[in-house]
Amino acid sequence: MSQVKEKRIGSLLVSLFFVLAGLVTLYDTRSYTDVDSKVFPQAVAIILIVAAGFACVQWFLSGHARDEGFAEGTWWRRILIVLSLLGACFLIPAIGFLGASVVAFGAGLVAAMHDRWSPRSLAIYCGSGFMTVVAFYALFKFVLHVPLP
Amino acid sequence: MDFSHFLSALTPFNFALALFGVVAGTVIGSIPGLTATMAVAVLVPITFSMEPASALILLGAIYTGAIYGGAYAAILLNTPGTPSAIATTFDGYPMAKRGEGDLAVALACFASVFGGMVGALALLFLAPPLSKVALAFGPIEYFWLSVFGLSLIASLSNGNLAKGLAGGAFGMVLSTVGVAEISADIRLTFGSQVMIGGFGVVGALIGLYCIPVLIDLVATPDRHLKVKDDAKAVRIGDAARLALGSKFNLIRSSVIGTVVGILPGAGGSVAGLVAYSEAKRTARPEQRFGEGEPDGIIATESANNATVGGGFIPTLVLGIPGTPPDAVILGALMVQGVRTGPALFESGGSIVYTFIYGLIIATALMLPAGLLIGRYAYKSIVTISKAVLVPTVGFMTVIGTFAIRNSVSDVVIMICLGVFGWVVSRFGYAASPIVLGLILGPIAEQGFVQSWTIGAATHNLFGMFFGRPISQAIIVFTLITLIFPAYIARKNAKLEREA
Repeated sequence: MSQVKEKRIGSLLVSLFFVLAGLVTLYDTRSYTDVDSKVFPQAVAIILIVAAGFACVQWFLSGHARDEGFAEGTWWRRILIVLSLLGACFLIPAIGFLGASVVAFGAGLVAAMHDRWSPRSLAIYCGSGFMTVVAFYALFKFVLHVPLP
Repeated sequence: MDFSHFLSALTPFNFALALFGVVAGTVIGSIPGLTATMAVAVLVPITFSMEPASALILLGAIYTGAIYGGAYAAILLNTPGTPSAIATTFDGYPMAKRGEGDLAVALACFASVFGGMVGALALLFLAPPLSKVALAFGPIEYFWLSVFGLSLIASLSNGNLAKGLAGGAFGMVLSTVGVAEISADIRLTFGSQVMIGGFGVVGALIGLYCIPVLIDLVATPDRHLKVKDDAKAVRIGDAARLALGSKFNLIRSSVIGTVVGILPGAGGSVAGLVAYSEAKRTARPEQRFGEGEPDGIIATESANNATVGGGFIPTLVLGIPGTPPDAVILGALMVQGVRTGPALFESGGSIVYTFIYGLIIATALMLPAGLLIGRYAYKSIVTISKAVLVPTVGFMTVIGTFAIRNSVSDVVIMICLGVFGWVVSRFGYAASPIVLGLILGPIAEQGFVQSWTIGAATHNLFGMFFGRPISQAIIVFTLITLIFPAYIARKNAKLEREA
């Protein structure tokens, strides 16, 4: 027999966030000087409020969850991969793009490695990762002339 | 036009340029963040010392290769390599997830070559008359075209239309952030200098599609993509059979791509979305669009590559670039001293026809080159360890987003948008409607405001919005797209009840 999933408060919170985003947009349009700037944001903000508001009503009326929620998985890995990418952005001004990318790559490697580490896997993964980062850095900086810091 | 132009395009030098351009374009287009426009712009300087026809062949080959290359990342990583491949993710990634990535890559190649050929042949035979289509499209037609594209939200909503509509509207709200194009008001920046530039479409695409995949990938030890036991490197035979079995879809999507390519500013992403919408509207009951339906890939990939030839029509005949890469190519032509316009097909016929034949050759070369690169890309992605794949893709998202505007802030915005996209997708708000709103929002706004202004000035608002024949045709198609699936579903349910 299929199990009925309990509805999730997160679904309601996300819908409420969208309603709030619509209200903030409407409020922001009050400061625009030209009517041409207002018409479109006001129209889409109203659609946003109505649609997200309807989703809120659906949540209250529905007896069970329609979405999967965060599901299973390791949270520290999820957080580490996001922090590694964000960390790279904040490290770029300090140690340059290449250095920040190497650090982020290392953190990403730790986040995504589910097998047991061995000296061989450590050497291969770190070596191939370093070569990948350097190769792409060289491609973007010297071939595509992107001014990487 | 005579056979000598074909021979000129086939000289070893021009042939080598076409091959190099297709390979370089495919590789650049497959990297998330590097668009077809960027691929063409980066390689423009090396064309300055060439003959105009050779320069055009190289740039056209890069352009067509880049549009196709965007499909790899869309299928294998759920991240459109270029914005043109947005709709390719809808069915490409689900196919790859269920172990048919090899088939999806080959199918994308066949469809891209077919679409590219249709666009190039339209350029060869119909350029002057078709260029009039570009002139027939005013702001209101663009507005309705974007509404037609937005009607796709109905099918991208994961069964909850309210959430799909909210996602689409939120995407359109995001598209208004920054300086308003028409009146230069600063909108929704809350005093932040960083937000004045608004949300870049490519960065947002990378964030909303790629970051959620990375977050999900690291969470469990499961394989990235399923691989069937009998998996081949690339399933050419199966793909050819599927493509031939969808002849009507191929032809219709290629024609849509060509026509949308002719419209200045619309481009491959709009063409792909419109063609996908049409393919879905006319789907058979057993077809499951959005869950790995091969016809979805055929529609989007043939349409986006057809925009290459289509986009060259107004570029060469009217001097109005049909797509952003065409604008770069137009600039390169001006540097070469080539003056575009209707007379170009007569006075500069040699250059134009040599180029068109070169584009046809480049498109044909995309078949072997694309299948070979696709085979390598697929094998790399399925065999590479997740521990290396995740940080590599993460690094590419950072460097690709940075490359667009050389801004670290854009990268931070991309990551935050990605985390936001992951959270909301877990509660029923899919990323695709948000992306759709973000892309079509500016087109809709510009068309709407300009039409409103013209209508108000002429005291004929109703006639402006609903009185023009092309607008009426698009409105009818939009209504059919919205109503037809519901009608079919209701009819099938009735038949099931009766049975």
